[in-house]
Parts: sequence; structure tokens; C-alpha cells
Amino acid sequence: MMRRAVALIVAGLVFALPARADQLVTDLSEHQIAIRSNFTGTEILLFGAVEAARPGSRALNRDIVVVVQGPSRPMTVRRKEQMAAVWVNHDSVTYPNVPGYYAIASTRPLEVMATPETMKALRIGIENISPGTPAAHAIDGTPQILPPDDERTFWKALIRNMRRDGLYFSVPGGVTFLGQTLFRATVEIPANVPVGLYTAKVYLLQDGEVIDTISSPLYIDKRGVERFIFRMAHTDPLLYGMIAVLLAAFAGWLASAVMARR
Amino acid sequence: MQIYLPIAELPVSILTILAMGAAVGFLSGMFGIGGGFLMTPLLIFLGIPPAVAVGTQTTQVVASSVTGALAHFTRGSIDFKMGGVLLAGGIAGSLSGIYLFKLLTAIGQIDLAISVVYVAFLSVIGAMMMIESVQAIRAARGGRVTPKRKHHSWIHGLPFKARFRRSKLYISVIPPVLVGYFVGTLSAIMGVGGGFIMIPAMIYLLRMPTNVVIGTSFFQIVFVAALTGVLHSVENQAVDIVLGFLLVIGGVIGAQYGVRAAEKMPAEQLRALLAAILLLIGMRLGYDLVSTPPDVYSVIEAEPLP
Repeated sequence: MMRRAVALIVAGLVFALPARADQLVTDLSEHQIAIRSNFTGTEILLFGAVEAARPGSRALNRDIVVVVQGPSRPMTVRRKEQMAAVWVNHDSVTYPNVPGYYAIASTRPLEVMATPETMKALRIGIENISPGTPAAHAIDGTPQILPPDDERTFWKALIRNMRRDGLYFSVPGGVTFLGQTLFRATVEIPANVPVGLYTAKVYLLQDGEVIDTISSPLYIDKRGVERFIFRMAHTDPLLYGMIAVLLAAFAGWLASAVMARR
Repeated sequence: MQIYLPIAELPVSILTILAMGAAVGFLSGMFGIGGGFLMTPLLIFLGIPPAVAVGTQTTQVVASSVTGALAHFTRGSIDFKMGGVLLAGGIAGSLSGIYLFKLLTAIGQIDLAISVVYVAFLSVIGAMMMIESVQAIRAARGGRVTPKRKHHSWIHGLPFKARFRRSKLYISVIPPVLVGYFVGTLSAIMGVGGGFIMIPAMIYLLRMPTNVVIGTSFFQIVFVAALTGVLHSVENQAVDIVLGFLLVIGGVIGAQYGVRAAEKMPAEQLRALLAAILLLIGMRLGYDLVSTPPDVYSVIEAEPLP
């Protein structure tokens, strides 16, 4: 069902556009993901086509990179140190702009597609995320300056942690060409994703150079009861807390009423 | 079956949470305790953020202490005056506990603080209970009577004395206020009712008659836990109503069976068993504190920089 719809849309896109330079046409299977009470993660399907400048020409060394990136927010990395036998959070580094989710899929491994410098300049790849100017703090909260090497280990630790949580990942070979022009990629959205505005950016590379990019938005948001509870907890915390406590008190009363009847 | 928790922001298995609630409810019914100090570590082991575990646990404490307080109210075994004095201290303690919680969160030491406090209390109380129940079991077998302790009367020298008719006491209000304050602070940091500290303190420190101790403790825990729950919602947005609901349901069911099971077991063995559970959890948490963590770096969403 979905596959047919996708094929129809792609066909429509392919025929609707006049051929100029090699161009990308893409779309996502979903532009909104609702987190409801049964949400346990999902996956989105990105599909698209390359509109060749000279129809019929065989495209060699053509690559596609798909980057799905979540909303950025400040993140703190803390390092534990052993103090009197106990592991205590010691130094910390705060980065102002860390994407809460970063997935990258490509037709081939990034390093064979283009030089590391190109990828760095284009900020493609988990290693090339730019999180803004870091601020380091000592255990007592006073600002301190860490040597660049040391600071780098904090950044690497952040990436390692995000990878472990399934929020940062790369899938070399995750984009597959279906024939000459059509391609598709599926991207995993785990259950612990942050909510907010995501962007799915697609890069078209030819011989290691980016010749076209296109990006589409993706909204991930809580819906239904989940949204209601979350919003109430944040906009009206006093009422929320009183409701939670009264409900619990009611449950306790109910339990004793049931016991008394027996 | 999985359910996504709106505040903890992760999916959990409904059956796991219900089973945990039931298991802790069973133990709490069996031993006549709130069970908060068992549930909070379990939730943390499960991956719930410590702040959410502590905040949510207060709702479970409210539910179980309401049940307990109502049962004792019908029996008339609550000293309301003493409860009120303890509560006055408890409210102040809860407020300062919440402040401390917020401060520790800001400097990144809240997880450590929760663990350290747990390890300290679980091992001390567990060890004390274990020693006492083993002695009691031995005494029962040997037919010896354990000597009664001597009264320490330094408490009687304190000012602001008041008469507590139900407890048949004429003592200063300072010790109960301090006990309430101390337990209130712990309740805010640990997400517990604090009965396991309150009750020994009432018996050994305030010398209250044992028949009013549990009811009075429940009575003041209801209000301190309710206040703590509201404060955790307001200050930390850390109460997950969905998680709390599941825990309460499991707990209520488990407690029924726990009460019945307790009737078939001798009190001393029961206490030795509880002591063993406390010691085990304490050791596990303590081991986590000193063993090298798999990753010494941890990542947390920061407050937006000013």
C-alpha cells in the first residue's frame, strides 16, 4: 500500500520536473511522528530520485547521503573521578548546541565518498557536528579552562553516550539505489527521541563533490494523553501535583474501603 | 505491553511496573512499611531518571500511608497532637529537602547524594534490625529474656514541654519537631515516607507507646508525602502520573497478600528477612558507588545557559 503510494509520488515528482543540472527530488513517508502512550520507536522512510542533467547518461560515482537531525539544545558532559573510593561527578563541559538526535545513512561509507575535509566543511557526519563553544566547569561550578585534548575527550564521550542510547548512528549502505535514479533509505527513530523539529537533509554527491542538497522538515511531538500530561506538568505544575497527590490519596482510600468491606 | 511514560520520557513494560508495584506492595503489607526505600532503587535500576523515581514515588507513599492511616484511625491508634507536632517539623524538613534536591541537581551530584543516603540508611537500619531480630530469635529459643534498656532522660530537660494525652507523655516539643524535620528532609531526597526511621525514633527516642506509633507515623507521612509530591511537581516537574498510577495499582494489590502472608510468619523471622533485604539493596547500591563505572562520562540535558 505505502510502497505503491511512494512509487506514485516519486513517479509524479520525476515527470513533473524539467531536466536541468542533476537534481534531487525527495520526500518522507511521514512529516509528523506522534508520540502516544503506545510509542516504542518507529522508522521513517525517505525516498527520492536524481533528475539527471543529460537523460540516459550513466551516472558513475554518484552518492547519496541522508542526514536526519533532531532539535539542538545545551548538553552537559560530566566526568566521574574517584574521591575517597566513591565515584563522584567532577569536571563538566557544557555544549550549547547539541542535536538530540543525529542519524546518517549513505550509499557507501563516508570516507570512500569524499575527502574528510569536504565532509568537515559540509558538516556531514557525527564527528563533524559543531556543538558551539564549550564551557568547562570544575566540581564546585567555577568556570575553568581545559586543555583542548582534554576537552576533546568530553566531546568524544558525548558522542559515545549518544551512540549507546541509539540517538546517534550512521548506516553506511543505508541508502539504496533502485535502478538508476530512484533511491530510498529507512531511518530508525528510537523510543527515547527528544521531541521537536527535525530536518531530513539529503546530499547528492558526484565524484566527491556535493552537487545538490534538499531538506525536509519532520515534526516529532507528543500527542493525546501524553501531550496533555506533559504540558500540564510544565504549564500548571501546582495543579498537576495536587491532582497526582489527590488521585493517590483516593486510591489509598479506595483500597481501605475495599478491605473494610471484606 | 509497553507504555510510554510522559514525564520520564521512555517506554516501560506495564507488566514489569505492575509486578514491581505488587512485589514492593507485598513486602510493605508484610512488614507494615511504606516500601518507598525499596521502590526508588528499583525504579533507578530500571532506568527511570532518579529525580523522576523520587518524585513519582511520593504518590505511592501517599496512597499506602492513606490506607494505613485510615486503618489506624478506625482503631483510634493515632496521637493527633503528636502527629501535628511531627508534621510541623516534617513540613519544614520537606521544604528544605526539596531545596537541597534542586541544589544538588544543579551541581550534578543528586544521583550520588541519593545513593549515598540510601546506602547509609539501608545498611545502618538493616544491620540494627538484623542484630536485634537475631538476638530475639536466640532469646526465644534459649528461653532467656532480653534485659530491658534504661531510660535516658536528657530529653526531659528540654523546654517547651507539652502534654500528649494519647501517648501518655509530657515532653518537650523540640525532639518531635526535630525528628519530623529530619524525616521530612529525607523524604524529599529519597522519595520515601520515612516510617523506617520515624518509628524507631518514636519508640526509642520519644518513648511513645508502641500501639500509637505506627498510626501516628502514617498520619503525618500522608501530609508530608503529599506536600513533597506537590513540591516535586512544582520545582522539578518530576512526578510521572502514569508511572505513579501503575505503581499504586500494583502496590494496593500486593499489600493485600502481604498482610495475609505476614499472619503466618513469626515476627522475629519476618524482621530478620526485612533486614536481609535492606542490607542486600544497600550493598548493591554501595557496590555501584565504588566500582568503576562502565563509562566515567555521562551526558545530561543542561539548563539553557543564561
